[in-house]
Order: sequence, then C-alpha cells, then structure tokens
Amino acid sequence: MAGMKTATGEYIDSSWELRVFVGEEDPEAESVTLRVTGESHIGGVLLKIVEEIKRKQDWSDHAIWWEQKRQWLLQTHWTLDKYGILADARLFFGPQHRPIILRLPNRRALRLRASFSQPLFQAVAAICRLLSIRHPEELSLLRAPVKKEKKKKDKEQEEELYDLTKVVLAGGVAPALFRGMPAHFSDSAQTEACYHMLSRPQPPPDPALLQRLPRPSSLLDKTQLHSRWLDSSRCLMQQGITAGDMLWLRFKYYSFFDLDPKTDPVRLTQLYEQARWDMLLEETDCTEEEMMVFAALQYHINKLSQSGEVGEPTGTDPGLDDLDAALNNLEVKLEGSAATDVLDNLTTIPELKDYLRIFRLTLRPRKLTLKGYRQHWVVFKETTLSYYKSQDEAPGDPIQQLNLKGCEVVPDVNVSGQKFCIKLLVPSPEGMSEIYLRCQDEKQYAHWMAGCRLASKGRTMADSSYPSEVQAILAFLSLQRTGGGGSGGHPQGPDAAAEGLNPYGLVAPRFQRKFKAKQLTPRILEAHQNVAQLSMSEAQLRFIQAWQSLPDFGISYIVVRFKGSRKDEILGIANNRLIRIDLAVGDVVKTWRFSNMRQWNVNWDIRQVAIEFDEHINVAFSCVSASCRIVHEYIGGYIFLSTRERARGEELDEDLFLQLTGGHEAF
Amino acid sequence: MGESNEDIDQMFSNLLGEMDLLTQSLGVDTLPPPDPKPPGAEFNYSVGFKDLNESLNALEDQDLDALMADLVADISEAEQRTIQAQKESSQNQRPPTSLEMPDFSGAGTLGYGANVAAVSVSHYEYDLPPPPADPMVDLPPPPPPPEPLSQEEEAAQAKADKIKLALEKLKEAKVKKLVVKVHMNDNSTKSLMVDERQLTRDVLDNLFEKTHCDCNVDWCLYEIYTELQIERIFEDHENVVEVLSDWTRDTENKVLFLEKEEKYAVFKNPQNFYLDNKGKKDGKEKNEKMNAKNKESLLEESFCGSSIIVPELEGALYLKEDGKKSWKRRYFLLRASGIYYVPKGKTKTSRDLACFIQFKNVNIYYGIQCKMRYKAPTDYCFVLKHPQIQKESQYIKYLCCDDARTLNQWVMGIRIAKYGKTLYDNYQRAVARAGLASRWTNLGPASAAPPSTGLKAGTTQANGQIPQAAHSVSAVLEEAQRHAETAKDKKPALGNHDPGAPRAHQLPKSSLPPPPPVRRSSDVCGSPATVPRAKGPRGGFPALPDDSLPPPPPPP
Repeated sequence: MAGMKTATGEYIDSSWELRVFVGEEDPEAESVTLRVTGESHIGGVLLKIVEEIKRKQDWSDHAIWWEQKRQWLLQTHWTLDKYGILADARLFFGPQHRPIILRLPNRRALRLRASFSQPLFQAVAAICRLLSIRHPEELSLLRAPVKKEKKKKDKEQEEELYDLTKVVLAGGVAPALFRGMPAHFSDSAQTEACYHMLSRPQPPPDPALLQRLPRPSSLLDKTQLHSRWLDSSRCLMQQGITAGDMLWLRFKYYSFFDLDPKTDPVRLTQLYEQARWDMLLEETDCTEEEMMVFAALQYHINKLSQSGEVGEPTGTDPGLDDLDAALNNLEVKLEGSAATDVLDNLTTIPELKDYLRIFRLTLRPRKLTLKGYRQHWVVFKETTLSYYKSQDEAPGDPIQQLNLKGCEVVPDVNVSGQKFCIKLLVPSPEGMSEIYLRCQDEKQYAHWMAGCRLASKGRTMADSSYPSEVQAILAFLSLQRTGGGGSGGHPQGPDAAAEGLNPYGLVAPRFQRKFKAKQLTPRILEAHQNVAQLSMSEAQLRFIQAWQSLPDFGISYIVVRFKGSRKDEILGIANNRLIRIDLAVGDVVKTWRFSNMRQWNVNWDIRQVAIEFDEHINVAFSCVSASCRIVHEYIGGYIFLSTRERARGEELDEDLFLQLTGGHEAF
Repeated sequence: MGESNEDIDQMFSNLLGEMDLLTQSLGVDTLPPPDPKPPGAEFNYSVGFKDLNESLNALEDQDLDALMADLVADISEAEQRTIQAQKESSQNQRPPTSLEMPDFSGAGTLGYGANVAAVSVSHYEYDLPPPPADPMVDLPPPPPPPEPLSQEEEAAQAKADKIKLALEKLKEAKVKKLVVKVHMNDNSTKSLMVDERQLTRDVLDNLFEKTHCDCNVDWCLYEIYTELQIERIFEDHENVVEVLSDWTRDTENKVLFLEKEEKYAVFKNPQNFYLDNKGKKDGKEKNEKMNAKNKESLLEESFCGSSIIVPELEGALYLKEDGKKSWKRRYFLLRASGIYYVPKGKTKTSRDLACFIQFKNVNIYYGIQCKMRYKAPTDYCFVLKHPQIQKESQYIKYLCCDDARTLNQWVMGIRIAKYGKTLYDNYQRAVARAGLASRWTNLGPASAAPPSTGLKAGTTQANGQIPQAAHSVSAVLEEAQRHAETAKDKKPALGNHDPGAPRAHQLPKSSLPPPPPVRRSSDVCGSPATVPRAKGPRGGFPALPDDSLPPPPPPP
C-alpha cells in the first residue's frame, strides 16, 4: 500500500502525491490529493478518490480524464506507471456521460446525455438506441457551425428544447414497445411529447425563415458542411466537445439499409426530414417538376400528420380495396331484403349530370377550331363523359363522347377569380383532344374533378377513394382561398388555420422567386393527385425514394488537390463511387467505383489519400476543405456499409467499422 | 344466425342460377358459322375486337379449328376437375365444336388458366361454387381459420367466403376475352384466347407450352404498328387485353412472338448501361466482359436498393418538331422523373432543365425506317406516345440517336425509369421460368456469347469508370493524369512508411484492402424481391383481378 511511513512521518516507500480534480475540466474545481505509487492500479486510485471526497453519490459513471494526454484512464487494472502518469499529470475525476444538445435532422433541439469517453461510433449508437433509430452506423455527429454574432437584434425566440437527460435505458435488450412507443418514452408526458416530435414530421417551415437560412450557392459552399464531421474513432472529450455543446445529428452515409415503416417510425421520419431540408435548402438540386412532387408529398404528409391520421397504410393494394368495397356492397345487399337485382346493384355506378360550360380545342390535322365556352348538358358515367345540347336531348346521341381512361387531368383554378376549370387531355386513336370543363363553384368542381381523376386511372366514381378525393380537392381549394402565400396571409377561421398552408414553405426559395403563390398552388395540387392516397409512412418513403433518385443525391463534396494538378478540384463521395468534379464548371471529370477499388492508403503527414483501383489505376490527392481523416472515414464507412447483410440483422461489426475508418491515431 | 345462413344459401343458389342464365344468354348467339375468308387474301386484323363473337367470326377456318382444339382440351381438363361438382354430364355439353361456346364462356376461363397458374386452378377446384344440393356445403370454409372462432364469427366467415365466391363467379361471367392472332418467327400464326386478367407473362408461358421453344428470357410479345412504323416489346407485367383494347377495330397492328435480346439486355450486361464510357472512342471494339460477381453487385446496387437507379444518360439527340418535318438537335438528359432538355443558353444543371416529357402516360417504341418516312438523320429512332394514339399525330414524339448503341441505351433507360423495379422482377420471373436455378448460371453463357446484333459496341472502361460528362478533352487529360499518377505512385507508398511519422504504430491500419463484400444475392434480393406485390394470378388469392372491381359488363 502506498504511503507507508516511519514513526517520524517520513515516507519509506516510493510513494508520491497525486492531485486529482473533481468535476469536469475546470481550473477552479475542488481537488483531492492522494498518496500513490507507480504500482497503484487505476481502480484503486478511483476508490481512494471517492473515499477522499466523502460525499454520498453515485460515482459509477465517473472516470479519470488526463488532460495533457487528452485521454481517459479507463483500464482500471492498469497501473499508473503503465499509463505513464507522474505527479505533474492534470487529472480530472468526472462523469463519462454529459449532457449535450443535439440538433436533430428535423432541426429540433434535444438535450440528452452522451458518452464522452467511448469512441464516437459507440456514443452515436447509444444515442440512436435512445431515440430508437435503427442502424446507427449511418449517422454521425457534426459540430454546429460557428454562429455569426452579428445579428443580436432578431434574437431567435427561445425555441423549445426537448429533454431526455433523465431517461435511462436498460442496457442490452431492444427497447420494448409500450403504448405504441418505446417504453422509455412513455414515462412522462414530457418524454411522450418528445417521442412525437421524433416520430412525426414537423410542419412546413416559415417561408421567411427559409429565405433567411444559408443556402449553398456553389459546389464550394456544399463542401463546407463536410469539414465539420466528428471523428468516429475518438471520443467527444478528445475532440474538444464540452458539456452543453450543440452538435448536429445527421445521416452521414447515404445508404439506408432496410427501411421499414413498421419498425422505423423515428428513423423514417428523421430521414424524411433530412431529405426535406436538403431539398428546401437546395443542397441537392432538382428540376421544377421534381420540386412539385416533393412539395405535394410534403403537403400530403403535413395534412396527415395534422389530422392525426398517422395510421395504417390506407390501401396497400388498390385492387384489394376495391374488392373490400364490393364485398361490403354485396353484403349490404344480401343482408337486406331478398333483392333479386343484386347484379344490377353491383354494377350500378354513380354518375354525375349537370350543366357545365365547355370549351373545346380540337386539333384536327391542320385545322384549329376555337369556340368559346358553351353551356352543355354533361353526363359523366363510369369513365365516360358525354355532352348534349340540353338535358332534353340527353337520351339521344351526344355531341361528343370521351372516354377519360388514360387521359391527363389538369386543374385550372383561380379561387379568387372564381374560376374552376378542369382541363382534360383525352387520348384517342387520332391524337389528343383538349377540352375544358368550367364548373360553377368549388363543390361542383371537386366532384367532377375527383371523377375525372379516377376515370383517368380507369376507375369509376364507385371507387372507395372517391369521397376522400373530393375532400382532398376541397381542402386544397380552401388552402388557396386562405390566400396561402403572400407574406401576411392570415388564415381565416380556425378550420382554415389548420389547412391554410403556405405553398412557399414547401418549395425551395428559388421557386418562391420564380412563381407566385397562386401559380404554385395548382401545380402542387396537380402533383398531389398522384400521391393523395398514400399513408403517412408511404408518403415519407416515397419522398425519400424520389430524393434518392435525383442524380445529385447523396454526394458529399470535398475540395481536394489531385496529385499533379495545379488547381483545386472537388471530390464527390457517394455510396458507390468517387467522383472527380471540376470546381469551376461543376462537370464530372471522372468516376471511380468502389467495387473496383483495391486499396486505399492515407499518408497522415502529407495529408494525402492514395487509392488503387483495378488494373493498376492509381489516384492520389490531398484534402483541402476537410481533413483527410474525413475522406478516409467516408470511404471506409461506405465500404463497411456495403458489407451489411440482411441475414445478420442489426448486429453491428463495430471492430470492422473502426478498422476501416480509424487507424490514424493511437488510442 | 342459422336462418340467415339459409337465406344466404338460398340467395346464393339464386345468384348462381342467375349467372348460369347469364352465361347461357351470352352463349346463345355465339354460334355463327365461321365465316371463311377468301383464301390467300391478306389477313391483317388479328385483334382489336371487343367481343368474342366478332373475333371468332373473323377467324379463318383452320385458325378456328386449332383454337377449338385448344379449347376443347382445356375445357375437358377443367371439367375433369369440376366433374363431381357438376350434376350434368359434361359429355353432353361437349360434342361438336360449335356447341361448345355456351359452356365455354362460363367455365372456359377456368380451365384456361390451367397451365398458367396451377395454383389458381387447384384453389378453384376446392372453392368451386357447388350446386345447392352439394355435400360440400357443409364443409368448413376454406381456408381454415388459424384460431377457433366463435360461432358467430364462423358464420360471418362462411358468409364472407360465399360472397367472395359469388363475386368470383360474377367476375368470371363477365371476363372479357380476346382471340389474339400471334405471328410466329416462321411466318406462321397462332391464335390464342386471352382473357382480360392475363398478363404478358401468362401469355408467354402459354405460348411456350404451345411452341416448345427453349423458353429463354429473350422471348417476348412484340407489338408492331404497321401504319405508324413503330414497335415495342410488351413488358411482362402488362395486361395484354388492356394493351390490345387501345387498338382500333380496323387496325393493321400485329402481335409477334419472337426473341429480342434487347428485352433484358440491361440485366445481362448492366455495365453497358450503367458504366458506359462515352468519353472514350469506340476504337477498341471491346464489349467489356464484366465478371458475374461485379454484374451482380451492380444490379443489386441499381435495382435492389430502397430506390432504383436510372442509368445516367445524356447527350444530343434529334427531335422531330411537333407537326413539322424538320429535326432539331437538342441536348437531352434522362432522369427518373422524365426526359429533360437544356434550353437555349442555359447550362445542364438541374435547376435550368426544362421538362420534355414524363413517362406516366406514354409508352416507348422503336421507330422503324424513320429516315425514309420522316427524313430522320439516322434510322436509330425512338418514339414516345400515349398508348391510345393510333394515327399520326402531333402528340407523338420522335427522337433520333446517332447510333444503335445510344438508341438501345435510351430505350432501356426510359424503360427503367418508367417501370422501375418491376422490370427486374419481370426478369427474375423470366429467368425462373427459363428453368434456371440461378440467374447467374444464365449470365455466364450470356456474357460469354455477347449479343452480336443489338449492342455491338460494348466499350466500357476496363476499370469501370462511369463517364457521366466525360468528354474527349477531359478524357485525354485524364489519361495523361493517370499515367503521371501510375508513374509516381510508388513513392507515396514508401513515403507512407518512412518520413516524419512520429509514431510508427499509427501507421496504416487503414491500408487494408476493402474487404470484398460478401453478399449472397439470393438472400438480399432473391426471394423477397421476387415476391410481387399481388401482381398476377400467383398472389395469395387466385381470382383476385389486378384491376378494380367491378369490371365493366361485357358489351351486349
């Protein structure tokens, strides 16, 4: 035992005094002084410290941090000598788990305790387990960007901060579900709210905010983000993070394994949110048509989320739905009086008849007939539209009969102008005929529009989705009526407040500049008709898929200098390839696929990455905008992700990950 | 409950009776004497008839005979199975061909599916609506419920089953059927009965049975618009009757049964579509032979992820301007959401692109002899049009490529963008049908004997570099660069080990070669992927139609 003394008080062993500060790194911290020898084990030292402090407390999470070496002393059976600790070492006895503020992919802030002593990879895995996000290997943490302290005036109002620091997870087992959420969330109303925040999509952002947030204007800007990734193989403490710091949690690797709406509500939602912000902030470019689809999906998801219909998939298979509807129909009939006209009833299909104004634009070869809107008696039955001069002539031959199956239906609506037109592009063997139906009011419009849409898909108004389609159209019109758009559009009435979405919150700012709100709304509506039947998770999944199929999807950009080149270029890293991109023009110069990669080396001293591909193709570059560690980790990470197998489930080969991504720093 | 059950039974037999009536009435006038056409006259209209009578009417004698022989075979098969349920002797119903029809329209479909989907047949057999006095009535309803149900539930269940049955029966009475004349390779034709629930895959399987061909994956149904001079491959998941109903009555369009290696070229040699390097000159004629493993991983990457990857395809094509004779050269790009072009004076960044067409309402066709007919710059044209358009129209879009290879890439790219994963599912089913245990054993020979006609210039870079916008200039630069790199690269490898590395042990653990991904295709995309989403008759519930219920009543 250290500290043997003679009667005169002289130490006769080789013991010396070790001073340990208690608490986090703080020069003012209280300290204890121990008598130790080089042979003292860390475990013994820990015990002594606790004894010295003389306070009753749960110390189990505490460990010693060696400040100079930036290292935790976690091997309790190691001696001080083995660690190389001498009397001058500045040691801090502090908790391994400390609170941090996470900025989630949905941009909400969440306070929780993260491990400051484990490699980041494990710390992230623990965070993801807490948030119930599967496949934590796809996520990582970034430093928050340095805030510019210029604008003190418009201090952002105190945002809601969710707190999960008190939640403790039982280790090992997968969290059980309780009341539709992982059990550890159902403890209090507060944590429950937190789960809802995590698992449900956020409402669209304020368009003004969208305008204000920084957007990348060039490829160079897109490289900024990637310099902030933390190192997966080192702990937070080693990377200079302190308690209370803000960190971003993001999906880092764009290779999403086994997305499952049933088991992954939080993961799916957060991924959707990341994708949505990616589109809104123009991180990934898309075309106008694509943006309308994204906007329509957001609108739809938001609507479902507000109406609480998070629920089950509405119809996995339309055919099944129809069958159910027909079955119900038949059942009703069978239960009722012994009707003999079952056949009739089954085949009866609701029809629409009304006076509408019709405008035809017939493009016969070489001849363009233009006639103004004329009042006609229009009968819409099954998928066929027939019109007559007047109701009296209806039994006779119609002026024209159009089968709407396969036709294109385009809304042409101006609510404030009370214009409710349906433009139909009806295919026929001769080509397309264009016809405009003008309805009197919203209600009529919604019914006819819904009918046209179903007919274009070859379904009739007997379809079970007809009423909901009508409702969806009315809802969308009301959105337009509340003057959605403009800066000061105040929704009228409580009902409208829920629906009164601003279409500008659904598209990237460049479309705000390009279109007026009233131009945007019908286009979103048009795109919406293709997604209106999706359930929430289906819609989110669809959004993610559309995002994934963008050509620029999932490329992380880094400024590099290729060996032998005189100018900086961009290296794009995607889940299956490396791309060399011209910095100025943005053109792809060359692509190398990971599947052809033999090996890669990093020379940490000259900050150079050298890669060898099949057939002796060698590439080398030094990293400019980010450290080469980040590039290295990206490549290794993607290689790691490609080794995942369905059969293995969620088991994570952490060693392999660290092997592939680490290796540059001695622990 | 018991009473209501009886009621139901009563109703049920009413219903069945009614349906019999219905089928009878359908049958009454189905016996027109086959109207022999003048022999030797060109027989053009193979399909396009909206109802059976007419199509039968139009058949030539020998066609009809052959068809009848088929039908009789099918029907007797079906009847063998249903015989215990049918009180009447099937013999009486079946003698001369001409008397066959009434029975056929009721039960024909049933038997017809026999070779297509054995599953569905056996299910029918079990489920078949028995005549009222049948002992089977008392049997517990299939399928047996997993857990014991209360009586009420059981009754409800029984009722539901019966209703289902009735619905099926109703549907069958109304199933639309077409007689399709299919042109064979050897200029002969075969007439087939196709009902509206059959997909191309079913019809192909049917044809396999009839022709005893080798059943390889390249066999396809092929539609030719004689008048428009366009043609295309039927996708295996397409509903044949639906496609054919778009044809007009007097159409000269034809359906062919032939082998097209373009059909699934992308799955045999994905590198030609996904890794094609346009930057390199086609000087070296190397149809890059990618090894099977790389192909597999490329396919898996492109088709088995959470979203499919559409090949990156862009380049200048000629576009026939609407209604005009001139062709304009424009720069087009393929994206999952459609074809885009670069407007004048703009760059090809996503935000500047203008949408040319989206695929939802159009099909893709090959244009034939466009050079002659439309003065196209080359004969390598593809055409996009709404399937219903049958005559020349300004709504038909003609595009012209520089060479056959580009054409095939665009057509395949568009098919991938339009049909997505379905295409891959179709392929896997075709492979399974071809009797191969694994698609890779098929790929072996396929790549060993590269396609000679379709894709002749398979010039993929050996290293599999994706070209994207690699133009020749940059390619040259690249080449130089690469030489420089190869020359110098020995050094950094050394440098890695020596110079100022302060601590030796930090050195490259990282220089591990990337572990070859060990994936088993069958696990990852095999079994789960091939299960279609209730497409086709192989789904769990056989009689479930693909499209909605109720089907339109047969034309009077």
